[in-house]
Amino acid sequence: MTGVGFAKETGTLAAAGQYRRPARFQPLRFLKGVFVYGLLSLAAFVSIFPFYWMLVGTTNSAVDIVRGKANFGDHFWINVTNLFAQVDIPRVLFNSFFISILATVLTLVISSAAGYAFEVFRSRFRERIFAALLLMLSIPFAALMVPLFVMMAGVGLINTYTAVIAPAIANIFIIFYFRQATKAFPSELRDAARIDGLKEWQIFLRVYFPVMQSTYAAATIIVFMLNWNNYLWPLIVLQTNDMKTMVLVISSLASAYVPDYGVVMVATVITTLPTLVIFFILQRLFVQGMLGSVK
Amino acid sequence: MKLKAKARSFAQGVIMAGISVFAVSAAQAEDVTVWAWDPNFNGAAMQLAAEHYKRTNPDFNLVFEVFAREEVEQKLQTQLAAGTTQGLPDIVLIEDYSAQKFLLSFPGAFEPLNDTLDYSQFADYKVQLATVGDQTYSVPFDSGVTGWFYRSDILEEAGYGADDLENITWNRFIEIAKDVHAKTGKPMLSLDLNDPGMIVVMLQSTGSWFFDDNGELNLVNNPAFRAVMETYGEILQTPEIYKVVNGWAEYTSSFTGGDVASTITGVWITGTIKAADMPGQWAVAPIPRIEGVEGARNASNLGGSSWYVLASSDNMETTKDFLATVWGNDIDFYQEILVGQGAVGSLLRVREGEAYQSSDDYYGGQPVWQNFSQWLGEIPGVDFGIFTYEVRSAIATQLPDIANGGDIDQAIQRAEAEARVLTQ
Repeated sequence: MTGVGFAKETGTLAAAGQYRRPARFQPLRFLKGVFVYGLLSLAAFVSIFPFYWMLVGTTNSAVDIVRGKANFGDHFWINVTNLFAQVDIPRVLFNSFFISILATVLTLVISSAAGYAFEVFRSRFRERIFAALLLMLSIPFAALMVPLFVMMAGVGLINTYTAVIAPAIANIFIIFYFRQATKAFPSELRDAARIDGLKEWQIFLRVYFPVMQSTYAAATIIVFMLNWNNYLWPLIVLQTNDMKTMVLVISSLASAYVPDYGVVMVATVITTLPTLVIFFILQRLFVQGMLGSVK
Repeated sequence: MKLKAKARSFAQGVIMAGISVFAVSAAQAEDVTVWAWDPNFNGAAMQLAAEHYKRTNPDFNLVFEVFAREEVEQKLQTQLAAGTTQGLPDIVLIEDYSAQKFLLSFPGAFEPLNDTLDYSQFADYKVQLATVGDQTYSVPFDSGVTGWFYRSDILEEAGYGADDLENITWNRFIEIAKDVHAKTGKPMLSLDLNDPGMIVVMLQSTGSWFFDDNGELNLVNNPAFRAVMETYGEILQTPEIYKVVNGWAEYTSSFTGGDVASTITGVWITGTIKAADMPGQWAVAPIPRIEGVEGARNASNLGGSSWYVLASSDNMETTKDFLATVWGNDIDFYQEILVGQGAVGSLLRVREGEAYQSSDDYYGGQPVWQNFSQWLGEIPGVDFGIFTYEVRSAIATQLPDIANGGDIDQAIQRAEAEARVLTQ
């Protein structure tokens, strides 16, 4: 992926160069370049170093990591074996994937339909309801936790996937995001589809959905990461080791009195990979989607 | 309208399917479920206890669920506040500093165990911290009895043997530390200015605490606290005797990596010290004593935790019998967790056991466990109250100022003012 990005970059530079006059050496511009690249390199280092440290950590023993060893060691398989011996990783990964994927699909279905409806259908209470929703965004989750727990206990859902997924699927931010994106959805398309005899839900599925693909892609990344990294609510509502998600496992691994940081690092890499993969797969659409929402 | 109805029935369908497919049956009634936070330490000890109990009760089954310490507290707090006992374990591990908070905030949530255990057999301070009125709620587990863990090779190089370090005062400690630095170039301690654990240790060694008998904040007019802050301030203003560290990993690597000559902390640090693999280079002395405070001792405590039984347990009889049989009586079990997990239990009788009698080559052949259990009996009991962590953080904000030579009395006043806000 970086390869593609690089090629594109140099391509643009070359193209721009064709229109430039033969350059004389300009010390000011040169200094500016040095400054800009210096700053960017620093920023790149700051963002990449933790990843590097994480990868190095998977190959070192806990003692070496604490001592600050910054090159690759030979402890990788020992760390991996220890992790799999301590935690039922396949089961935990299944939990994480199951919760995240199902929650993402349901969130996209429900929240995109809601966002679309908020923009397209007129009603007297539309803006008031929407304002109320936005206000609700400012309520911290910690304040909702106890009542939510009472509700879940009331219907016997403690320690189930449903209890984790259900509160996540009506995501106010995603509704807002889809409403904003829908503003850019041309009303002519809708009118044309109506004239052709499509019902409202058909317009949503056959016209809106294909046109808004990049918005969906961006929302997928956001919602998947949100659910994959969700910590507080799963922690409260999941009670047994076999229901835990990867994030909860990392947290309990790191809390031991003598944490085995090598094992923690392996778990962290395993947890980071899926979000990375999804991001890279949907990256191009994601950028378009973000641009689209500002238009 | 039709669409809405369809959507509603679809949503209902999804929810029903969710309930039927994903509802996981709760643990079996005869299982005893435990929440604790370290599978290699407290979790392992509990599982070993279960094995001991199974010898006479083969049907017994223990289910151990691991959550981080803060997570156990957060889950308990949410769930008890929600007033629902669904999914709560039978036994839960709570850190000693948080015990009173839970016992006072959620009366009736925990089961008193006065009829189950003979509390006179346990270290006094461990019993006090889990007592409300005339009821005691805990099975005292690991002690945070403190020791002065030092590098015997470095101190020897500076001319100090074990006898020179026995039962000294903090002033003498500072003198020795200066001398050790002059002769070896090593600072004596590593201090994290965000974590006033050392102040907590010093304060409990005087038998005083952040709160008075009525639970009121007691910093400004507390002579013991003032003496502690003065001593700590003196250390902070002698920069050559300590190294500033940031966070737990840096703290542990400062003494396992040989940057500093010693550390003063709870006995649970043994696992970390032994992981450094430096046999014969370490030794343990009693902690120094605060001067000028009556009743101050060379013994204190940092951390430690105890087991609590939830009153909602649907398996109360088995749970109590298990705890009384193993945790209240089984001396052999305590020897095993000392050797295997480095856990110093709070049952005083166990020091007669073989493992407690033996000397430890890692600590140069010292009878360390005998020493620790002796110090354990000397720790002054204090009432930790509800807000220990809040006061700790209020004190921590004053430490940089004290290190820069700020006035102690003003710092204490500011700490009390901030603590008042935090504990309201």
